[in-house]
Amino acid sequence: MSQIVAILISTLVLGSIYGLVAIGMTLIYGTLRILDMSQGSMVMIGGFVAWGVLVVANSDPVVALVAAFAATFVLGTFTQLISVQPLMSRRSDLDFEMVTFITTFAVAIVFSNLALQIFGPFQKDVPPVISGSVSIIGQNLSYQSLAMAVTSIVLMGALGLFLARTRWGLAIRAVAQDLDAARTMGVPVGRLYPLTMGLASALAGIGGVFLGAQFFASPTAGDLPLLEALIVVIFGGLGSLSGTLYAAYAIGFIQSAAIVTIGETWTLPVLYGVILLVLIFRPYGLRGNPSEARL
Amino acid sequence: MTDAAPILDVRGLWAGYGDSIVVRDLDLSVGAGQTVVMIGPNGHGKTTFLRAVCGLIRPVRGEVWLAGERVDGRNPEAIAGMGLVHVMQGDGLFSDMTVEENLLMGAFPTTSWGARQGALERAYGLFPLLRERRGQRARTLSGGERRLVGLGRALMREARILLIDEPSLGLAPVMIDTVYGAIREIRERLGTTILLVEENFTHIGGVADVVHVVEMGGIVRSGSLEELSNDRTVVETYLGSL
Amino acid sequence: MNDASRVGKLPKLSAGSRLGIVALIAIVAAVPVVYTNHYVLTFLVTALITLVLNTSWNFVLGIAGVWNFGMLAIYAIGAYSEGLVMLHTGMPAPIAVLLGGVAAGAFSVLLAFPTLRLFGIYTSLLTFSFAQVVQFVIVNDPKGLTGGSFGFPTVKGLYPNLGPLAQLRAYYWTVLAVVVVATFAVAWIRSSRLGIALRTIRDAPAYAAARGVSPLKYRMLAFAISGFIAGVAGGLYLSYNQSITSSVMGLTPMSIDVTMLVIGGLGTLFGPVIGTGLLTFIQQALIDYPGVQLSILGTILLIIVVFVPGGLVGLISRTRRRLSNWVEEDETALPTTEEAARSTEAGT
Repeated sequence: MSQIVAILISTLVLGSIYGLVAIGMTLIYGTLRILDMSQGSMVMIGGFVAWGVLVVANSDPVVALVAAFAATFVLGTFTQLISVQPLMSRRSDLDFEMVTFITTFAVAIVFSNLALQIFGPFQKDVPPVISGSVSIIGQNLSYQSLAMAVTSIVLMGALGLFLARTRWGLAIRAVAQDLDAARTMGVPVGRLYPLTMGLASALAGIGGVFLGAQFFASPTAGDLPLLEALIVVIFGGLGSLSGTLYAAYAIGFIQSAAIVTIGETWTLPVLYGVILLVLIFRPYGLRGNPSEARL
Repeated sequence: MTDAAPILDVRGLWAGYGDSIVVRDLDLSVGAGQTVVMIGPNGHGKTTFLRAVCGLIRPVRGEVWLAGERVDGRNPEAIAGMGLVHVMQGDGLFSDMTVEENLLMGAFPTTSWGARQGALERAYGLFPLLRERRGQRARTLSGGERRLVGLGRALMREARILLIDEPSLGLAPVMIDTVYGAIREIRERLGTTILLVEENFTHIGGVADVVHVVEMGGIVRSGSLEELSNDRTVVETYLGSL
Repeated sequence: MNDASRVGKLPKLSAGSRLGIVALIAIVAAVPVVYTNHYVLTFLVTALITLVLNTSWNFVLGIAGVWNFGMLAIYAIGAYSEGLVMLHTGMPAPIAVLLGGVAAGAFSVLLAFPTLRLFGIYTSLLTFSFAQVVQFVIVNDPKGLTGGSFGFPTVKGLYPNLGPLAQLRAYYWTVLAVVVVATFAVAWIRSSRLGIALRTIRDAPAYAAARGVSPLKYRMLAFAISGFIAGVAGGLYLSYNQSITSSVMGLTPMSIDVTMLVIGGLGTLFGPVIGTGLLTFIQQALIDYPGVQLSILGTILLIIVVFVPGGLVGLISRTRRRLSNWVEEDETALPTTEEAARSTEAGT
């Protein structure tokens, strides 16, 4: 019983944070048709911003969240402008997915190397956003984890509202569904693409603040979240927001169950094993469809 | 022809995809309040012409003037921002968005929320069917309903000129009448300047001020609908039948 | 020149180019005779081993167009298999290297099956997952065969009876020979029916299917061949270093190898040679600034992909074409997709 509760709690926490990081990748894939390999860097940068605000400047968590959001928004926009936008006009002449996979990966290499130069290879402890914990049926749930889950869920909800209700949110979905038609409506794609990537990066940056507090800030702190987000988006089917959400919690569950039952070291191999199986039987993920990866 | 400067003025336009040029040296002008119709068989460059005018493809040569400003070479969002509204072939609806969301996209350049809601009410007033379907996803609509959403969306913002690409394409005859009823409504009630493309004369009665016959990417005959449809050579040579 | 009769032959080279290639091989082969600095030679042997790996990776990634990011795992499988053969049987090292290649080829063929139904990015995730699982198994091997994270137990090299310099030279020439053989093999395969079929499957899958070009058969062959070459590269690595850890298949080596391939020109014949050579040179030049190496490599990668499509080989052929109307052998002598499809059809 207590194992089940532990698994469920952990599923909620892990699934929410995966969802937050992965939903940005889905947003980018749906709109720009690229797999953004720099998303992990944004998690890493979010962690360092949190460390800078909370430890160096000794300021409070809200400032850290806002600063991380702003910093990764700007860097995400910048990444799009240098690694994707210049290729946009040649979209049809090249293997756009592969080329942007490589260029965003190149940016990620540079970001983590720069972080290594600036902050050094050692892990930096980030204090929890909130301290204390609550007990649920005998299982400890730290406020930090709870805050992480709640913030992630709130942000994902806010993203959903933004996409459903606002002018720019509708424009993002319109571009994802029919680029030509959206342009004839007057949607400035030259501005919309970088902003979309900025927004997605900012979500990962927020995730980075929590992950940094959960673990630590380090130049490689984004690698694992990137892999996990990749697994989630592909498991859920690229470009499908609802698929991403299901997949985030499914992956969170698999991982939690693996941690609780067979131990920490086995979690990633189990995940990869599951992915191998899923891709063998469902080549486009749970909800994906190659021809209509739409938001 | 009106005396004032034309809303749309196209001079010596060449356009196509890659190496294949489909529009060859085409001249055309549309005056304010006019409805100009281009008629011609499939594959003779009408759709390509519209796509070149609205900026979706870059013309190879020639000039496009919109309300006295040269716009060829600009991107489609900039041209759209100048008041050119394009109802694309096959509607160009956002299939996974609802009818209302599709309509709101038509008003994207309007930044004020209130103004967009006003435009929405106006579109619903003109086409009450859209209000009934407002929450439905575009992909679940019938062909005729989709076309009406496309037209309604085009009315969501002030149009200096409205380009409509084959509104009768793929529709049942009853629906075609409804769609043309809507176009007539737009023309008469709103006085919108329209450039319309069709495959034949059948449906454009009572709509067209000027008709151009397009063949092989150029205009071969022009005149009023009456003149042209009574001209046996035009009908037989270019259109096969009425 | 592009007709079906050319299928199955090496790209026709002008006498000048042939002479150039022979001269290049001769010059590279002469390096350890003239230059005996131990440190530099060690470095060059490693670069040549990387080149063998890159040649096979280029084949599967660039020519077959399959997003295989599990190549380093195949490479590691080759190395570990060779090591196990060496350790547990009395077989001579060269045979062990070849057996390592065979084992790697076999694993590679296994990996080919699930990729058949996948596209682009999905393939990359699957193959990458495969690599992660392989790495995990190697590190956490319960039976202690692989040495876990401490690395494989020391094995004997290929030339245990030679002195230090002679040994280094022997490795240099051995690996160089493998590079030459692998490059020519890939060149030959590229214009053979297999290569044409692969490129048709890559560029026009529907056409390939309509013509009965079996993706299963050809992709398995491609994976087998590339796996074998990569496995041999892994075996050479182990023999040369006499030990190996699972870090050879980490993210950093992968980034560097991908950078080499892309900078040289993915899918071209001499891309891996140029990319590996240039990047090795840059790495060497930056040896005193290890911190910024990756930043600079990442920046170069970004600039090349954005501004120099087709990598340096693409740039060179475009420049040459602009200089004269001379036909560029490396690229243009090959049939285009349509012609390729036609000649495949003719051959089937």
